[in-house]
Amino acid sequence: MQHNVFILIGFIEIALSIFMQWQNYVSNNIKTFSIQSWILGIFLMYFGVLNNNISIIILSILTILTRAIFIPRYLINTINKQIFRARENKHKVSVSLSILISVLLAIFSYILYTLVFFEFGKSLISIPITLMLQGAFLIMSRSNAYAQLIGYLVMENSMFLLSFLFNGLPFIVEAGIILDILGIVMIGGILMKIRDEDIQKEEELYG
Amino acid sequence: MLFYLSIAQLLYVIILSPLAIGILNFFNERLSSRGGPSIFQEYYNLFKYFKKQSIYPESSSIFFAYVPYMSFAMYLFLTLVLPIITAFPLTFGPVVDFVGGGLVFGAASTLIKLSALDSRNNYSILGASRSSSIGIFTEPVILLIFIMLGVISGTNNPYVINNIMQTSTSWYYSLVHLFIALAFLFVLIIEIGQLPIESNSLNELGSIDTLLIHEYSGRELALLKWGSYIKQFILMNVFLNVYTWPFFVPMKLSLISIFFYMFINFFKIIILLIIFAFINSMVSKYRLFKIFDYIAIAFSFTLLAMLVFYITTSGG
Amino acid sequence: MIYTLPALFATIGSILCFIGFRKKERTVSVFTSLLSLISSIFILFSKNYSSSYFYVDNLSKIFSLMIAIVYFGVVIFSIEYISNIKERFIKVYQYFMLLNIFVAAMFFSVILNNLGLIWVGIEATTFSSALLVAVENDFTALEAAWRYIIIVSVGLVISLIATLFLYSACDTLSIFKLLTIKPTGSLFLLGAILLIIGYGTKAGIFPMNTWLADAHGKSPAPVSAIFSAVLLPVSLYPIIRLFQINHNILLSEFAFILGFLSVATASIMSLNQTLYKRLFAYSSIENMGLALIGISLGSYALFGAIVLIFAHAFAKSGIFMLTGNILHNYKSKKIEDINGIIKTMPHTGLFLFFGSLAVTGAPPSAIFFGEFLILSKTIDLYGWLIGSILISFVGCGFLFINYKVINMVFSGQRKKAIKESNFTLVPIINITLSILTFISLPFLYRFLQGVIK
Repeated sequence: MQHNVFILIGFIEIALSIFMQWQNYVSNNIKTFSIQSWILGIFLMYFGVLNNNISIIILSILTILTRAIFIPRYLINTINKQIFRARENKHKVSVSLSILISVLLAIFSYILYTLVFFEFGKSLISIPITLMLQGAFLIMSRSNAYAQLIGYLVMENSMFLLSFLFNGLPFIVEAGIILDILGIVMIGGILMKIRDEDIQKEEELYG
Repeated sequence: MLFYLSIAQLLYVIILSPLAIGILNFFNERLSSRGGPSIFQEYYNLFKYFKKQSIYPESSSIFFAYVPYMSFAMYLFLTLVLPIITAFPLTFGPVVDFVGGGLVFGAASTLIKLSALDSRNNYSILGASRSSSIGIFTEPVILLIFIMLGVISGTNNPYVINNIMQTSTSWYYSLVHLFIALAFLFVLIIEIGQLPIESNSLNELGSIDTLLIHEYSGRELALLKWGSYIKQFILMNVFLNVYTWPFFVPMKLSLISIFFYMFINFFKIIILLIIFAFINSMVSKYRLFKIFDYIAIAFSFTLLAMLVFYITTSGG
Repeated sequence: MIYTLPALFATIGSILCFIGFRKKERTVSVFTSLLSLISSIFILFSKNYSSSYFYVDNLSKIFSLMIAIVYFGVVIFSIEYISNIKERFIKVYQYFMLLNIFVAAMFFSVILNNLGLIWVGIEATTFSSALLVAVENDFTALEAAWRYIIIVSVGLVISLIATLFLYSACDTLSIFKLLTIKPTGSLFLLGAILLIIGYGTKAGIFPMNTWLADAHGKSPAPVSAIFSAVLLPVSLYPIIRLFQINHNILLSEFAFILGFLSVATASIMSLNQTLYKRLFAYSSIENMGLALIGISLGSYALFGAIVLIFAHAFAKSGIFMLTGNILHNYKSKKIEDINGIIKTMPHTGLFLFFGSLAVTGAPPSAIFFGEFLILSKTIDLYGWLIGSILISFVGCGFLFINYKVINMVFSGQRKKAIKESNFTLVPIINITLSILTFISLPFLYRFLQGVIK
């Protein structure tokens, strides 16, 4: 049963991150990320209740509070102050190509599983790996700072799914990770307010 | 008995398909707060076309005159082989499977494109090139969908697929099925010609289907229009009866249940049309060249379905 | 707990800068950094310690001492330097607050007993230092800070996966337990490889080293100094622990290849650098690559790597502070605009020359000794061919960097001397310390005998 729920959750997350590739509007991306985190948090809570594990329940509440509520709200607030960044006009990679690439990443990670991870058991490992690669691809294929930050957060979400397949990290480490992500998002938000995107050819950053 | 049922199915499709499109147009207009045409408007249109005189361009060959009849016949043939009001094969059922049906669809649309080229009208040629450039991308998706259904059911027979979907809840509630159905919905929306670029309309960048039959008039135009209504009606039926909502389709020969199912089926289609009308009025139209993003999404869903199949079956 | 004292002092300093002492942030910071320096010297003479949260051995003590010395120097140098930057991105008290919390995170990272918590500490250094990079407040600085934060975070996600794998392979993340159970197995190996890639990102190791030159080139001089001198070694610290836990042949070769490629890219890239801070940033990449090679080879090469890290910290922090002086007086970041420093600023010029010699491994310095150990072990293990290629890359780096520095320092017309700030004494002391490290090598070796096998 848990197996099936995991597959369901994993593929919904993958489909949502493909949806992110499709979007031009950053606020839609942020909302999609929020939905992803909600699903993840609810799944975690379900798992915790099922196994009567208090620390996982606390973790799920923390996840929902930070990733699903606070971070999206914070990002949307920053984006409302500079509305001209809300839409990314020029994609480095065209949208249909990036959608196809992110699907091919899913297949690639399945192949990766058959080559590298098969001795660690479950074929489900390829789901979090897919999400992680898709997050990394989102970072690489966009020049908008918000989209890049969302890509990083997707990678972190996939980390949660992955830790569910393995033993899971100790509670104190997970709590520390959440704190760190909050820090990254806050600092990233401060930087993004002023950062200009068309600075690729600056001489001082060359070589 | 089966033979009479086949004829009943044929009449069902021929008669109701303009009504379905009329209802869709009606909903579309009502949702944009306009009065909207009568739901029988398409019948009036067809009747009007039949009364008018046919004119052929001077530059066209004799092929041009035959294409409407041929394509209409092909669509009629398709109604005989797909599960529309029954879930057991009728007289002509064993003739083709899904792939064969797809080929017949492709043949009909190819004929129409050829006739458009034959008419030597610039607009028709534009329409032909647009619709083939979209078709190049949609057809692999459709093929992949068929392959995935074949993987699920072990066959390409639409009747068998329907029976499996009706009886096996594990397949019906599987992610594979969900992703295939989603992908087919995406393709269906393109084929119905509503979204994402509104290929049925007359606006400059969206018109594709209307451009293809630009030079026809009179009875030929009526047949082509009717043929396209039948095509859309069949596709909606396939979507409902095979992919998403296979329930209630009578699996045994029983006249009463078939009779009731005719009404249930049309009711299902009306619900689908309402959904389409809502999508039409809520989602903004795409530019012509953005359609490939949209098709890429459909393609990615089918690939994901394949991946889910592998992940779930290869020893979890 | 005496071992947490340096970190606690830095944290207290950061809190005080934020609350209550906003006008006196400089005094507070100097005071706390002095205290943490004193306490880390005191730690040097206390016993090893391990509990469920802390694991302190001689390696941690050496790292603490290194961080504390550089921290003290950087705080003192910042006092004047930060006032000279116009249109700062953050206020002065925020600068000192972030600097203190950044150093506190590094102090914590080297004494913790849990690989997961070490990850948390190192990630904390990322976001606490990102705003420090952007102090100069132009678009390039912001872009550099953004690249730093996003590339390093992605790299650290990889090391987080590695941590997860290690945990599920060994059922514990405690370094103390891992050292006793000596884990093996393919999941452990996979985790270890990912760990090297992940922390290597932050240390400027080859595949993801692109952020390093940007961040070092655009951040203000004291921040570049503390980045290059301590942040990169602290990121190598978990890798050192990893090789202590399990010195696997495969892992060792993998790390060697990464280190080798870093040395190669850095030495080649340093040829066409036009900005002097980026030049020294590439020199840092080269040194970190060599240190990774040393760590991967183990035994006396590990000692060489630690010596290299230790001496490099002082020399490179000194050099970066001196570049701050040059930037302040010449108002240019380009190498071609700078000439005759020896005439205009005699102390800066002379010690920039000494420092660059020391950093590139000229014979009297301790870095030479470290490089010598590493290279000889390389030749010992991998043969003359690979050894000589590595030596030629190091030699190329030596030539390119020193050629440019000599051009900057000695060439050019006679110019009027500029009065140097009194704080130039800090980098001078640092560079002198790095050269004097040579004398302390026997003590260092005896001190590290538990670490090096």
